[in-house]
Amino acid sequence: MLAIGLTHYLVLAAFLFCCGLYVMATKRNAVGILIGAELVLNAAGINLVAFSRYETGLADGQIAALFIIVLAAAEAAIAIAIFVNYYRLLGTIDPDAGDRLRG
Amino acid sequence: MNPLTPNTWLPTAAELRLFAPELILIATIVAVLVAPILIGRRPVAVAFLALAGVLAGLYACGAVAVQVGAGAQGVLSPPAEPPLPPMLMADRFSLFFKLFLLVTLAAIVWLWMIGAGQAQRWAGVENRARPLAAGPEFFVLLLTSALGMMLMVGSLNLLVILIAIETASLPSYALVATDKRSRLGAEASLKYVMFGAVSTAIMAYGISLLYGRFGTLDLSTIAAQIAWMPPAADLVFWLGLLGLGTGIAFKVAAVPMHLWCPDVFEGAPIEVTTWLSVASKAAGLGLLLRVVEAFSASAALSDAVVPLTWAVGVLASVTCTVGNLAALRQESVKRILAYSSIAHAGYMLMAGAILVAASGDAAAHGDLPRAGMAALVAYLLVYVTMNVGAFGATALVAWQTGSDHLSSFTGLGRRAPWVALPMALCLFSLVGLPPLGGFAAKWFLLVALGKAAGVHPWLWVLVTVAVLNTALSLYYYVRIIRQMYLTDDDALPPVRAPGGGLVMVNACAVLLLLLGTLWFSPLGQRAGRLATHVFYSPVPARPQEVPSPTGHPPAALPAEAPRMALSAGHTPPYHGK
Repeated sequence: MLAIGLTHYLVLAAFLFCCGLYVMATKRNAVGILIGAELVLNAAGINLVAFSRYETGLADGQIAALFIIVLAAAEAAIAIAIFVNYYRLLGTIDPDAGDRLRG
Repeated sequence: MNPLTPNTWLPTAAELRLFAPELILIATIVAVLVAPILIGRRPVAVAFLALAGVLAGLYACGAVAVQVGAGAQGVLSPPAEPPLPPMLMADRFSLFFKLFLLVTLAAIVWLWMIGAGQAQRWAGVENRARPLAAGPEFFVLLLTSALGMMLMVGSLNLLVILIAIETASLPSYALVATDKRSRLGAEASLKYVMFGAVSTAIMAYGISLLYGRFGTLDLSTIAAQIAWMPPAADLVFWLGLLGLGTGIAFKVAAVPMHLWCPDVFEGAPIEVTTWLSVASKAAGLGLLLRVVEAFSASAALSDAVVPLTWAVGVLASVTCTVGNLAALRQESVKRILAYSSIAHAGYMLMAGAILVAASGDAAAHGDLPRAGMAALVAYLLVYVTMNVGAFGATALVAWQTGSDHLSSFTGLGRRAPWVALPMALCLFSLVGLPPLGGFAAKWFLLVALGKAAGVHPWLWVLVTVAVLNTALSLYYYVRIIRQMYLTDDDALPPVRAPGGGLVMVNACAVLLLLLGTLWFSPLGQRAGRLATHVFYSPVPARPQEVPSPTGHPPAALPAEAPRMALSAGHTPPYHGK
């Protein structure tokens, strides 16, 4: 049986991080970019929990992961509110459609 | 040592009193939220409530500063042996920034009240009617972002830094879109929230890497570990630091995390622009210095000092140059001032480069960190005055004419002499011309850079960049002044500015004149004294070494020895690979 260890979690987190970066860089949709940011935040959460379980043995990493979940929720709430406002005024949520501010 | 010891601990009243400014701000936020239920939606009454709360916070901040000056220890941590590292701190460093933030906040609330008066005049007029009704929500968001910034400068823990940055950022995103009918506001807030989400996420990942590498989220413990294990070729450490740096660079709007800044500053209501350009930057710089200070005290980092100084120096030069070059071809005054604030963040980062250069080997550098810090403190004090003045004058013009385009400033010297004159003085001060405060700020910065260049000769590059950029910036500042005084159109009516606004911008101008002349050397001395006081006070109380507010600065830096002592006690074993 293959024992699951720290490395597995770190690789998973790094993979999520890369997916998040890719999504943030390529998506032409505000919600898509937000999802990319959430992927990266979750990568950070997995890292924190894995390190705290396998390395430090302290609860502080897991507490930090809980806080990151809360931060992600708060950020999503405010971001979606802003998207709705943007959509109401521009009829799209493509960030590139906002071209009045240039230079 | 497990921080989750089962016996419950609550801070005593004396400990809590040291965080009175934050607590008062929180109480004000709740009061502002509840007030519309009790007294109905009366925005101006709520504004007065908010102003009262800010002034009370300011008073508390001064009282705490006196207490801390007398040797009180501003940390919240449960009694334990050996002592646990604190998460939040009320030391001289954070108190200086808190005072600074609260004064700015009071100015912003005042500016909003002036704008509210204007809004009542222009109610119903297309383009000029302003969203007065959003008053209560506006103040809740404004005060919450101020609270986050106050936490940013007092945090000693990576998790608290993350939470504080988010507490400051999330309300700011919404503040930018306060005017829900404004298309520019919607665009600006979308760009802001996108940039913010990305940089926060990367920062969180960086923090998780640092946690894994050092087994702790506490800054001082990490610094102590660096002293044991030189991280020169440690990829995880540098990646983690890069992530942390991304988040801080976003707050300071340093290149390459500056792209949001001009768009947000142009699209946001002008009070919000002023708030973000001054407070958000100051808090970001405070946090940067806190991190640099924590990491730099360990001598083991001295191998990394030269590349790190290079990195900060290059960042500062690029930030400065990009800001100034982009400002040259702008037509909106708000946008010109936005790029100018990027350039000024660059100058302030140069002071940060001095601090990094002087870190590592404390003995070889003697007075340098103090000089760099003093330059930064003086720069910040002058910067807030010129920016509030310049943005305030722009606001007065924009509220009257309905636009902040350069053409709105045509003939302002005739149409509103008491707006044009302080605006011109603020702009000359932003260039750094004598006899204004801006000159004093640049002078102290260049002298400190010159001193540091005596130790690290390549820092002369930074001096050259700063001087060249000053010359470059002259062009676009003078362009506004030229528009105000040398062009005129008799058809344009006079601009009637409200009395409160005139008092505000003229007070800023007078202050700048005083700072550049009579208060030139007092500014330097006061900044120097603050700089000796702002450094991280050690956790074990050492009242005999704490200088009194009027005393002489201590000969040596007080930071080094106690942190080493701290590291011996409770440092978790080294885990990283």
